[in-house]
Amino acid sequence: MLYFVNKHVREMGKMTKALRTYFLFIVTFIVCVSSLPSAPSMGMDGKIDINSIRGPKIKDLYMVIYRDPDSQILALETGKLDVLSDIIRPVDIKRLAARDDILLTLSEGFHIFFMGFNLREFPWNDLALRKALSHAVPRKKIVRDLFAGYCMPVSTYLPPVSPYYEPNVTHYDYDPDKARSILSEAGWRWSKEGVLIPPGKEKPLKKVYLLCPTAQAAPTTAELAARIVDSFVSLGLPVELQMLDFSMMIKRLDKHDFDLFVMAWSLSRDPDNLFAFFHSSMDTEGGYNIQGLHDQAIDEVLEKLRWAKDKESATAYAKEAQRMLSEKAPWIPIYSRYMISAIRKDWKGVIYSKKTTADNMWSLLNMEPKAGKMRPLYWCLPEDPRTLNPLAASSAYDWSVLGLIYESLIATDPYTMDDVPWLAKQWSVETKGTGENSSTILRFHLRKGVTWQDGKPFTAEDVKETILYLKKHEIPRYFDQVNHVISVETPSSQEVIVTLDRTSYWYLHNIGGLPIFPAHLLRNVKDWKSWRPERLNNPNGPKLTQLIGTGPFIFTEYKPGEFVHLIRYDGYWKR
Amino acid sequence: MTRIFRNYWTRRIAGSIAVLLMVLVLNFFLFRIMPGDPVSTIIDPHFSPQAKMHLRSQFGLDLPLYRQFYLYVKSLVTFNFGHSFLSQKPVWEELKTRIPNTVFLLGTAFLLSAALGTWLGVKAAHKRGGVLEKVVLVAGSISFSFPSFFVQLVLLLVFGWAIPIFPIRGSLSVPPPEGIMALWDFLWHMTLPISSLVLLGFGSWAIYVRNLMIKTLSEDYILLARAKGLPENKVLWGHAFRASLPPIVTMFLLALPGILSGAVITETVFSLHGVGKFLLDSILGHDYPAAGAAFYLLAIITIICNLAADFAYGLVDPRIRLGRKME
Repeated sequence: MLYFVNKHVREMGKMTKALRTYFLFIVTFIVCVSSLPSAPSMGMDGKIDINSIRGPKIKDLYMVIYRDPDSQILALETGKLDVLSDIIRPVDIKRLAARDDILLTLSEGFHIFFMGFNLREFPWNDLALRKALSHAVPRKKIVRDLFAGYCMPVSTYLPPVSPYYEPNVTHYDYDPDKARSILSEAGWRWSKEGVLIPPGKEKPLKKVYLLCPTAQAAPTTAELAARIVDSFVSLGLPVELQMLDFSMMIKRLDKHDFDLFVMAWSLSRDPDNLFAFFHSSMDTEGGYNIQGLHDQAIDEVLEKLRWAKDKESATAYAKEAQRMLSEKAPWIPIYSRYMISAIRKDWKGVIYSKKTTADNMWSLLNMEPKAGKMRPLYWCLPEDPRTLNPLAASSAYDWSVLGLIYESLIATDPYTMDDVPWLAKQWSVETKGTGENSSTILRFHLRKGVTWQDGKPFTAEDVKETILYLKKHEIPRYFDQVNHVISVETPSSQEVIVTLDRTSYWYLHNIGGLPIFPAHLLRNVKDWKSWRPERLNNPNGPKLTQLIGTGPFIFTEYKPGEFVHLIRYDGYWKR
Repeated sequence: MTRIFRNYWTRRIAGSIAVLLMVLVLNFFLFRIMPGDPVSTIIDPHFSPQAKMHLRSQFGLDLPLYRQFYLYVKSLVTFNFGHSFLSQKPVWEELKTRIPNTVFLLGTAFLLSAALGTWLGVKAAHKRGGVLEKVVLVAGSISFSFPSFFVQLVLLLVFGWAIPIFPIRGSLSVPPPEGIMALWDFLWHMTLPISSLVLLGFGSWAIYVRNLMIKTLSEDYILLARAKGLPENKVLWGHAFRASLPPIVTMFLLALPGILSGAVITETVFSLHGVGKFLLDSILGHDYPAAGAAFYLLAIITIICNLAADFAYGLVDPRIRLGRKME
């Protein structure tokens, strides 16, 4: 999400011939979904027991850079690529789905696209108007027309894939008559020209603007915004589209200089981002409460969500927050994306589910050629990794590579999105005190037999050094994850105790999700910004660099613009 | 060299330095006038305003503007361009890995399309009304007017997929061959992108040279040369083409800096590691050090090429050798 502009342009910029491809896509979709249980890599229940996975099996992994989507498809079809992620054009999906040698997988995405109001100003602070406008948007039709069915219309504040998704919220289905009756009941009237007149006022509303990125940068978003404008105009709202360069749009939003806006968020499995989006304390210049919602009751629930002690209470507060938000309608949620990836069928052991596409770490551990003879796996990277310094890396492409080298204490189950023991075989969460004087104690028991790729043993000292290094240097990418850490103790080489101020269930994921770096190398990093581990020789292995982790693959070579080459780590703890 | 001649070049060089300084100042302020900065486009709910503040400080964006300007000028004048905001790598290192690909791709394509276009233009003008001229005019107009991405994608589809004789990405195979085969592999990979650029670029040269040559071939001295019984090739290349050379050389030298600025679309379609995409990403990502350095280098090369064009004018056309004329 860091480099939102590029990704958003890519996501939005390639939707054409929507109507013609819609029906074909539906057929494709049904074929793909119905093929999931019968895929050869699946077990009896359609799942592979992830605890039984031993790997990686492949010896060589080439992450090859293909920038152009057309050349990506051609490469996949001709066998020059084995795995292609994030396929978004209906024409490509249709083409690949028609092939016998390619497996397409679909999953629901942690993504939400919405239209927001500026609640700081009239008339957007009028709840009846917001509810009426929510009923005026034909989101199903818009999404069907523009995305050929591969996006999901949503009316909730978290996407359905989220473990904290609450379906029982107030839904605002498309119903223009209901929209008009809500407005009439609230005292709104219409002028002779059909323009809305606020309650108690004589003059109709002045012209307002919906901000969106330019059609050149994001054509589908612009078209979608135009459809929203049309639906509002038909209700009597004098609104026009204002297309802006994305930087200019962000500047206007940061300064709260807008009426309406469209935006998309890429989310994670934890719902604590609801706090960032809707808590009144986040209504600052550049804050994420862009719409400026101030609601004491919602604030209280969001605070409880942020500082929830356990999963049960976190789930309850997340669901309650979604229900309350839907009542206040600060956004009009529009759609959530499906994630689509393709893998050539000459590989077996592919792992995927409705929540995870096939291009994941579990697949990489389990995949092997069907033909029996081992060969390199070619994985598509749509862009160069910007840096291989894990302390500075922030883009998804950087972590496509680094995520195969570095591991964290806790992983995510591809089927359920639940926590899975990884470098930590078990953990406990203990809380002390209440309110601002409270603290959380995370106790991780580390897995035995794990070694760094240079042969050194992985111990509690590595976890401690990682957390303290990130905290001491206030490294921006990790700042929010370690900001609340008070102390890290290592009673034994296999146990780590992390104490954090206040209590929050999300601390477990903040700390458990950190990539762990080798203490024996990290200690020598004086300037984290200019650290180039991939260029430094490793004192413990003649052919190794300092870009080493506990992960399943060892970095061997990066040719800028061409490929990243990784080889199997034979000492990997899951082999 | 006369005093006037020396004065002329002194003025030209002084003017060039002034232009370079203006570019330097504009580069700094234009990027900062643009809405947003490298941190403001980060809109990630897990990246708090406090974390953004740290990042801003890391980039030096919290320093007073005059201090930022001083550091910027220092970095450019000493050719130590600092670190890219996006990659955290030295900008010079980023450029160093890209410039060879871009110069080879665009330089070769530029030379080939200029040579082919010029030759066809001369031949078309010589055989006016003939088949060759018609072919040149039609082919030139088509090549000139087709969008590059379309031509390149068609080439990719035909020669990379339907008749797969060329690779569809990059400048080397994966895994790459070693030794002399690596050179062959590189040339094999660059054939399709270079061909596409030649196909797209020769038309404008051909039409431009044809038009110049038609005018020159109608001059009296050409008639005289023919009347003297000079061989037609000598008339065509030794007299007419030579007289048309100054504007061709000017056009050539003025277009030359473009080979460093890269070709974003070509680099994207063929997944090439080049300067064009880097420059675009730097601008979109508000990567001040990277974009500033790239524009600074481009400005220097443009100025050098402009000076070279002035100098070359005198070389190819004795009538405009300033010093001699004044004598």
